[in-house]
Amino acid sequence: MAFAFKSDSERPLAAVSRATRWVLLVALGVQLAWQALSPNPTANATQLGMPADTNWFHAASLGEPIPLAHLSVLYLQAFDNQPGISIPYRELDYGSVQAWLKRALELDPEGQYPLMMAAQLYAQVPDEAKQRQMLAFVHREFMRDPDRRWRWLAHAAIVAKHRLKDMPLALRYAEDITRYASSALHWARQMRIFILEDMGEAQAAAVLLGGLLASGEVMDAAEIRFLTERLERLKSVEKSSKASEFR
Amino acid sequence: MKIRIATIARYTLIEAVRTRLPLLTLAAIAVLLGASFFVREIAITESARFQTAFYAAAMRLSAAFIAALYVIASMSREFHDGVLDVALALDLPRSHYIAGKLAGFLAIAGVLAIAVSVPLVPLAGWEAAAIWGVSLACELGIVVALSVFCAVTFNQLMPAASVVLAFYILARSITAIRLIGANPIADASSLSHRVMAGLVEALSFVIPALDTWTRSAWLLAQPASWSTLAQIAAHSVLFVAIFAAAAVFDMQRRNF
Repeated sequence: MAFAFKSDSERPLAAVSRATRWVLLVALGVQLAWQALSPNPTANATQLGMPADTNWFHAASLGEPIPLAHLSVLYLQAFDNQPGISIPYRELDYGSVQAWLKRALELDPEGQYPLMMAAQLYAQVPDEAKQRQMLAFVHREFMRDPDRRWRWLAHAAIVAKHRLKDMPLALRYAEDITRYASSALHWARQMRIFILEDMGEAQAAAVLLGGLLASGEVMDAAEIRFLTERLERLKSVEKSSKASEFR
Repeated sequence: MKIRIATIARYTLIEAVRTRLPLLTLAAIAVLLGASFFVREIAITESARFQTAFYAAAMRLSAAFIAALYVIASMSREFHDGVLDVALALDLPRSHYIAGKLAGFLAIAGVLAIAVSVPLVPLAGWEAAAIWGVSLACELGIVVALSVFCAVTFNQLMPAASVVLAFYILARSITAIRLIGANPIADASSLSHRVMAGLVEALSFVIPALDTWTRSAWLLAQPASWSTLAQIAAHSVLFVAIFAAAAVFDMQRRNF
């Protein structure tokens, strides 16, 4: 069987009228010229708007609020990267950002993603007011479900301590973890002790650490040894400071 | 020649009336208008803006969908029922057949655009609604011409409708794709990125940027100027000519 170069269902190019060929070529040529002469599109940043009401989101989710919560955080996450333009986080309207994060948490209260974004992304901007705004948001949301959200408040405490250098704020967050998040891991529950120590409150830190060791809450031998050494050091600091006061 | 083209166009219009396309259009308008009133009721503020934007955006998509499917289904039916064979057995050039069908479909697109624009007059004012409607007619003209080309080329409903849908989505998003390609976040110098960016730029030469056509913003804020509309109309005529010529080209090469 001979190899067919041409399909039987097609006629040769010569079957196409000259006028058709000319119209096609000219029209294509004009379009190419048009496009070549048109200016390239320019990127414009669009403002992040406020999200719709929670009830609207519930209605729009058709009974599936969790995927909608995921979509909304992905939308928010991608907002800094609009087509052709990258917007620094600090230029976003943090009122709207908070509203979107809050809406996502309302739709999916067990989701951790919005708090991770608040603590790890939006609280890292070089703008103290915006950092504080985001930390306050994390704290508010922590208070709604401390046992599930304590790790993000712990992160907020670290940001307050190291970035903002606001020790009272860091201490307040650490104390709230100890007070309200009974299922938090030991390191988070012990955080207030180390913050107190850093604040120069050696006596208070020693009392808390001693209480923690006496409560039997810490079971791991290595951790007990580490905390005991820390307690001894705190006590020695306390003694030396008292001695200097006496002199 | 003109009489034969006009006759085919006239019968294309009659077919549209008899296959209840007007009823389908009115049903779509009624459903989306009703839905827009629902949106208006649940909006706390700017309710009229919400209603207008919802109706305009949803109706634009629906009109493109209805026009494309109607054209492809009509052309496919003629191919498979042997109507085309009978027409070609007459003293009728293939180009006239395509021109007649296209003229009829363009008229249908125009009527469709007018019908869906009428509810916008009380919502956005006659001038904004008129500009939006003319732009929609131009957009539907491109969709209709593309549908004729795809129906002739693929001869089957499914592949033709898929190509039209893909083309329409790409045309609505080509500007955003170009912007993303031109301003990458990382590694702009990599070969893969340069190839992709070049491909996207090449695509933009043969695909109309439909995101600049029929914008809801014209109804909500400042209507487009008449000069913008003239530019859109000229560009639409160009694309209709390209797709029409391509459809005739394929038709004249086909063996029946």
